[in-house]
Amino acid sequence: MMNWTLYKHEMKGSIRLLVIFLAVITLYVSVIIRMYDPELIKTLDGFVEAMPEIMAAVGMSAGAASLMGFMISYLYGFILLVFPMIFYILRGNGLIAKYVDKGSMVSLVAAPVKRRTIAFTQMAVLCSGGLILLIYATGLELVVAQSSFPGELVVGDLLRVNAGLLCLHLFIAAICFLSSCLFSDTKYSIAFGAGIPTLMYILQMLANVGGAAEKAKYFTVFTLFDPQGIVEGTASSIAGAGILLGGAVLLFLAAVLIFQKKDLWI
Amino acid sequence: MSVIKIEDLTRDYGEKKGIFHVSFEVEQGEVFGFLGPNGAGKTTTIRHLMGFLRAKSGRCTIDGLDCWKDSDRIQKRLGYIPGEISFFDDMTGTELLQFLGKYRKSPSDTRKNHLMECFELNPHVKIKKMSKGMKQKLGIVAAFMHDPDILILDEPTSGLDPLMQNRFIELVEEEKKRGKTILMSSHMFEEVERTCQRVGMIREGKIVALDSVEKLREQYVRPYTVTLATPELAQDFAKDFGGVSSGLRVTVTTKQSLEDIFMHYYGGEK
Repeated sequence: MMNWTLYKHEMKGSIRLLVIFLAVITLYVSVIIRMYDPELIKTLDGFVEAMPEIMAAVGMSAGAASLMGFMISYLYGFILLVFPMIFYILRGNGLIAKYVDKGSMVSLVAAPVKRRTIAFTQMAVLCSGGLILLIYATGLELVVAQSSFPGELVVGDLLRVNAGLLCLHLFIAAICFLSSCLFSDTKYSIAFGAGIPTLMYILQMLANVGGAAEKAKYFTVFTLFDPQGIVEGTASSIAGAGILLGGAVLLFLAAVLIFQKKDLWI
Repeated sequence: MSVIKIEDLTRDYGEKKGIFHVSFEVEQGEVFGFLGPNGAGKTTTIRHLMGFLRAKSGRCTIDGLDCWKDSDRIQKRLGYIPGEISFFDDMTGTELLQFLGKYRKSPSDTRKNHLMECFELNPHVKIKKMSKGMKQKLGIVAAFMHDPDILILDEPTSGLDPLMQNRFIELVEEEKKRGKTILMSSHMFEEVERTCQRVGMIREGKIVALDSVEKLREQYVRPYTVTLATPELAQDFAKDFGGVSSGLRVTVTTKQSLEDIFMHYYGGEK
C-alpha cells in the first residue's frame, strides 16, 4: 500500500514549503492571539462597524466575547484556511501531475511498484504535510493562549474546532490531488487544482458579506466548516464536518483509481 | 519459448497516426531490433509493453503476464531505458541510483559500480546540470543495475559518443551471452547489425518487415554477371570484387546493409 522510500523522498521535498508556512502560521497565530484584549476587541469591533463588508469578507465579525470566539473570528476565516490551501495546491500538483508532465514518472512506474501504491504514497505525503501544519498550529495556539491568557481557552473547544478544520483541509487537499491525477498536463492540473478551491474561497468571502451575495454559500464547501457551531456543538456543524470528511475520502479514492487506470504518455 | 509477445496490437490516434495490428514475438535469450523512423510507433508499442498504456485492442504479454494488469510483477525482472530520459532533477546521480535501488527493493552496489566505471560516469553531479550524454549513461546504469532478465531499450545510445556507443554494444553482447532477452529500438544500423538476431521494421504504425538480419539481407542479394575480355582479366576482376569466375564470366553478388534495406522500406515512395 505504501512505498516508504518514496514517502521519505517526497516528505523531504515538502520541507521547504512546510517551513515557510510554519513560519507564517507562527507569526500570525502568536501575534493575533496576543491581540486578544477586551479593549482592543472594541477597536476591532469598531473596524467591523465602520466597514462591515470588508471585515466580514475575511471572516471577521464583531462580538467575539471569548478567546475561542476571538480566534475563530480572526484566525479561522483566513490564515488557517488560505495558507494550508496554498500548500495543498502547490504540493498536490507536484506529487503526480508534474512528474507525468515532465516524464520523471517513468522512474516510479517502471519498477515493481503498483500504481495504486504510488498514488497512495503520494496522497499520504500530501495529507502528512497538512497534518503537520495543523498539529503545529494547534500546539502553538495552545501554548500562546495558555501563556498569555492562562485558563481563558477551553482546550476541548480548540481541539474540536481543529478537528473540523482538518476535515475541511482534507477536502481541499483531495480536490488538488484529484486534479493532479486527472490531468497529465501541469497547466490543467494547476488550473483546476488551484482554481476550484480559490473560487470557492472567494464565494465564501462573498457569502460572508451577506445580503444577496449570501446565496453564494451554497456553492462553496467552506460553508460546511462552521467553527462557531462546532464550539456550540450544533448538529449541523458536525454534519458539515462529516460531509467534508466523507467527500475527501471519496475524492481521494477517485484520484487513486483514476491514476491507476489512466494512460501515461511518458 | 517467446518471452515478449505482442498480438494484433492496435492503438488508433486518428489521422492514420498510431499503431495498427502490430504482432511480433521475442524469444528467450534473443536480441530483437526494432527499427523505424521517428513517429512510426516504436515508442507507442514499447509503452504498451511497459504497462504505461492499456491495449485498446489486441494484447501484449511478457512471460505470459499481461503487460497492463501484471505490470508490477513484470517490472521485477525488467530493465528499461526510456526514449526520453527525465529523472528527478534535484537529485544527484548517486542519490537517484540509491533511491531507485531502495524504491525497487533491489539494491546492488557491485553491479552499479561496475557499470558506472564501464561508462565512465561521474554520478556526483546534480541531474539538472548533466549533459544529455551523462543522463543517458545514468539511464543505462539505472536500467541494468538490478540485473534484469528482460531489457526494453528505447534508443539506448542516443546522445552517446561513438566510444560509449561501442561500450554499450559490448554490454548488450555480454548480456546476450548471459541469456538475457532484449528488445531494442534504434536508429543506429551498426549497433543493430552487430547485436540483433532478428529485426522488426515499423512504418506508419504497421510492421513492414519481420525476420532475421540474415534472411532480410538474402532477400536483397543482387547477383550481377559480367563478361570480360580474357580469362586472366576475369580472374582479377573476381578477386577484386569478391566474385566467382568461370571462364570469361564473373558473377558478383552485392550484399546490402541493413541500412539499405531500411531505406528500401522507408525511402521515397509514400
